[in-house]
Amino acid sequence: MQEVRVSVPARADYLHVLRAVAASVGARRDLSFEAIDDLRIAVDEAGAYLLALKPSADKLCLIVKISEEGVTATLWGEGITTKWPPPGSDDSLSWKVLSGLADEAAFEELDGAPAIRLLKRATSGR
Amino acid sequence: MADQPGQTQETPESQAKAADRQRTRELFAKLSGDPKAREQLVALHMPLVEYLARRFRGRGEPLDDLVQVASMGLLKAIDRFDSDRGVEFSTYATPTIVGELKRYFRDKGWAIRIPRRLQEVGLQLAKVVPALSQELGRSPSVAEISNKTGITEEEVLEAMNASQAYSLVSLDAPMGEDGNSSLSRLGAEDESLELFEAWSSVAHLLEKLPLRERRILYLRFVAGETQSQIADKLEISQMHVSRLLTKTLAWLREAAGDQDI
Repeated sequence: MQEVRVSVPARADYLHVLRAVAASVGARRDLSFEAIDDLRIAVDEAGAYLLALKPSADKLCLIVKISEEGVTATLWGEGITTKWPPPGSDDSLSWKVLSGLADEAAFEELDGAPAIRLLKRATSGR
Repeated sequence: MADQPGQTQETPESQAKAADRQRTRELFAKLSGDPKAREQLVALHMPLVEYLARRFRGRGEPLDDLVQVASMGLLKAIDRFDSDRGVEFSTYATPTIVGELKRYFRDKGWAIRIPRRLQEVGLQLAKVVPALSQELGRSPSVAEISNKTGITEEEVLEAMNASQAYSLVSLDAPMGEDGNSSLSRLGAEDESLELFEAWSSVAHLLEKLPLRERRILYLRFVAGETQSQIADKLEISQMHVSRLLTKTLAWLREAAGDQDI
């Protein structure tokens, strides 16, 4: 299992860094052009979702892992203390987008911080 | 629009404006009960939107995109306006719209210009990716694209990023002008209904989307089709589907942002 970690200031104008990292790692795992694109849009959505939480995060972090199965991107916001997952999140637009784009999507906790995990399988989109 | 008093005298500009203001007040009065009222309010204030958007021209963004951003500001203003406060709506809406435009430039400051080299790579990809997909019977990997074209993997990825970055908010086709035949339009309307049901929390925003964008959302998220399958159906490129999808989702997110969906 290989992994890449990156953290950026919790601002919308840094989301492109996270997108680019996820896409780049996706290419290392030989995901298809289209699967990479789905992953990128999903990372964008997840990042925007975390950024919208109050009180706001100090930092937005991403781990992208390469595995036999495919690529897993986990995003979380450091400093977010909101109830997680937020009430009604299963019915939110973000959830629909995330679960539609990724092969697996989950609201999780990582070291006590709210996190969103996305899996894109290596065979999907092919 | 048939509820004006039955007089046909020459209407100087000031009178036209007064009529607009009157009409605005009427529409706000029935906003909660009449879904059409919101659309009519939008239509009535498009000149204001376009005027304000034009003030932000010459900063490297297409006017169409600016008009879209400004329209989003207008929607926010409509939703937040309290007609009991005794302020004219246009007075209230102007700073909201300008704020939206300013925020747009601030948020995407990094993405305003794409280097020429990346634009060229992007154009090349737009040709090569569909051809390769056809040849392989599936979406190609970045490595395969790189092998085929001699463009480095890194540049392929950068071009993918850039093509998205540039088109953050705008929605290509104006509503109801996507040239579909009435038959395929009917099918698309059915799809829209299913989409409204599946995404009921944002149905009022989905209504604002052009039919084509709604179809893409339906096909991707309700019918579970891939971008390539959608591209075939709509007779546009996969990259175009990707761009429209990204834009539409970003727009929805923005437009819904203040409502805690």
